[in-house]
Amino acid sequence: MRFIREPLSNFSKRSTVLKGFAMGHLFIKLTIIVTVVLLLFMPVNNFVKHSYDYNINHAILAFKKHPYPVDIINLGASHSMYGYYFKPTGLSHLDLALPAQTIQYDFKLLREYGKYLKPGGVVIVSISQITFANSEAKHIGNYYKVLDRTEIEPFRLIDYYSYLYLPGTNSGSFNSALSGKLKNFKWNSHQPWANNGKNYSGRKYEKVEAQYREAVENNNIQQNVKQLRQIVEYCSEKGYRVILTMEPVHQSYQEYFNEEVMNRLVFQYLKALKLDVPFLNYMRDQRFADNKDYFIDPDHLNREGRKMFSWIVYKDLKKLGYL
Amino acid sequence: MTFISIEFLLFFAIIVFTYYLIPHRLRWILLLAASYIFYAILSIQFIPLLLASTALTYFTGIIIEKQETKKQKKKVMLVGISVLLFFLGWFKYFNFVNDSLRAIAKYMNWNYTVPYQEIVLPLAISFYTFQAVGYLVDIYYGKQKAERHYGYFSIFFAFFPQLVAGPIERARKLLPQFKVEHSLNYENLNYGMKRIAWGFFKKTLIADRLAPIVSSVFDSPNPTGSQIVLATILFSVQLFADFSACSDIAIGCARMLGINLTENFKQPHFAVSISDFWSRWHITLSTWLRDYIFFPLCKGKKKRSEIYLAIVITFLVSGIWHGAAWTFVLWGLIHGFYRVFGDYTKHFREKVASFIQLDRSPVLHKWVKIAITFLLVCFSRVFFRSDSVTHAFENAQLFLTINSWRPSGIVKAFEIFPLLDLVIFVFFFIIVQLFQYIERKNASTWKWLAQRSIFARFAFYIFIIVSVLIFGVSGNGFVYGGF
Repeated sequence: MRFIREPLSNFSKRSTVLKGFAMGHLFIKLTIIVTVVLLLFMPVNNFVKHSYDYNINHAILAFKKHPYPVDIINLGASHSMYGYYFKPTGLSHLDLALPAQTIQYDFKLLREYGKYLKPGGVVIVSISQITFANSEAKHIGNYYKVLDRTEIEPFRLIDYYSYLYLPGTNSGSFNSALSGKLKNFKWNSHQPWANNGKNYSGRKYEKVEAQYREAVENNNIQQNVKQLRQIVEYCSEKGYRVILTMEPVHQSYQEYFNEEVMNRLVFQYLKALKLDVPFLNYMRDQRFADNKDYFIDPDHLNREGRKMFSWIVYKDLKKLGYL
Repeated sequence: MTFISIEFLLFFAIIVFTYYLIPHRLRWILLLAASYIFYAILSIQFIPLLLASTALTYFTGIIIEKQETKKQKKKVMLVGISVLLFFLGWFKYFNFVNDSLRAIAKYMNWNYTVPYQEIVLPLAISFYTFQAVGYLVDIYYGKQKAERHYGYFSIFFAFFPQLVAGPIERARKLLPQFKVEHSLNYENLNYGMKRIAWGFFKKTLIADRLAPIVSSVFDSPNPTGSQIVLATILFSVQLFADFSACSDIAIGCARMLGINLTENFKQPHFAVSISDFWSRWHITLSTWLRDYIFFPLCKGKKKRSEIYLAIVITFLVSGIWHGAAWTFVLWGLIHGFYRVFGDYTKHFREKVASFIQLDRSPVLHKWVKIAITFLLVCFSRVFFRSDSVTHAFENAQLFLTINSWRPSGIVKAFEIFPLLDLVIFVFFFIIVQLFQYIERKNASTWKWLAQRSIFARFAFYIFIIVSVLIFGVSGNGFVYGGF
């Protein structure tokens, strides 16, 4: 019996040693892989962290750190973000517009930063083709630093920390950063001014239409309409002077977003609201409509366009007695 | 918490760690708790249904076994299966039947008053119902003993790695594995991690990158014919990447716990015929349909026409199983027709191949068969992917129009991709094809890789992880998770 038992126990010991060795081997392998992955990942993470798109909210962040009283605030999505530059007019200005911003986040930002508006200050609420159809905050990360966590909906802790510290893992952020570096790496037909802007405008039109259909199906339009009313009421309550605007777009864009389409997407709801605030609609402004020099692409103003447009708005606000 | 999330990886890491830490007698409790927690996180409102279905199947199994005559056993089995199918039918098919009846009534000018019901489809109901039906039938035929341990049986019913989208397992394969004590095994951990990583790779770099591109065409009100052709082919790639990734992750997770699940795919897009395709695609469903629908239907049948009818019915069930819509019914019928037509014309096709001397070049002959099979499968998927029967026929018409296949049109259709996305997709698609090529030449790419130098192996593992981390797109659920 002893003869049999001894080899068995030896075998068992050897097997335990082998198992321990194999596990140790696995642990070392995993450690090496994780270390190399981290080393390779760090520059990518930095690349994304320093990209333009990831820091798109830098102006709001800078303002948050060193706030000052402002004469005018603009809300809205990218049309508004690329639409206003009031510095030459002498007005102190806070741009609270961010790409694809929903009207819910317009309101959240206004509640957070409205307190810096001077008495009788002006709030520009930009209305665009997507104002009533847009409901999903696609770039929720833009708000992590500029709003309180409780305002972020939906808030997920893992998303929050990975967006702030590991933006390289967010394929959307990485794609934006890469696209930013390779701006011209597009099909010829996808260039903003290909076919005189019609391709771009056509694609944008299809996208907006799809978004609108979805919003109708999910009954999101009425919520957004209600939210706009709340913004106006909030401004009135706080003593802010509110104005609705629509930024100019290029001729090619107007062809797709014609009167009928705009009525369906926007104006029918706006009219039904019967808001007692001025609405400055520059969408078909002839000073911009057929001049590509003022645009980055058919629906976003460039630096020159922005300056000129801001002067026009400034003068119109003066005429209205807002300034 | 879907498979493709940090939460799942953390959850699973905790389960694996605890699993090997606790004694074997307590492991079933851990697996059961993990399975129910996983299901509850995804779909808490249907936990009672899952529990009820489990209890029903458990007791029905025992009662079947206790019956003395075959007739009595059959009666009990049919009652159990009927209740299970009633659950499935109510949640999955009520509105489909209701809408169809309403449409018929409208057409016939009849008064039909049953209103539309807001019914949410319980997660994984199609998968666990089929698994349960298979279990009861196996007990009836004496191939399986009714499980007496309620805990083990419940894990078989709700084992979290394969609960959401399969593989559809048989009790005789899975149940004994839960009962055997699995010790911490280097090979299992190593292989399991690789399969999970590869699943993540396919899902986030192929399937979820393609999903919005395919949707942009199928959701478009006026796609061009070439766009439909390209989007359908891409959808086939997406569907395979998506579903096989889900199976890879399920198999990998189970393997890390010492459990072997059945392989669900064998490179189906390289099938040389439709019957070959079904022996490579969703294998566990195909074998389930073969064993529990086709064979019983063929019992005692000798005429060719009767066998063909059984084939069509089997594929019809497959179509209906996939989704409660006429598009899926048509998809199933198309495959039934393919299968029957393939069998009926087998000799004729062989003669044609011989006449044009194609059979003298076996490699070319094989690739012609692969291409034809792939295109036939793609055509059927126009119906699988379209939102309605009207759209499906419009898209099918576009797919079959010769103009849609003009090379210049197809090249132009690639513009549905942003150029940067196309470059990224093509790069990772080539990697997957290389992986599959090695798999076709060898038994397993992982084994082939194990024979390479340590640097090559590590470079590949690191490449997979870095690619998923940086280029991986996530956020879409699994296509088959919706069935």
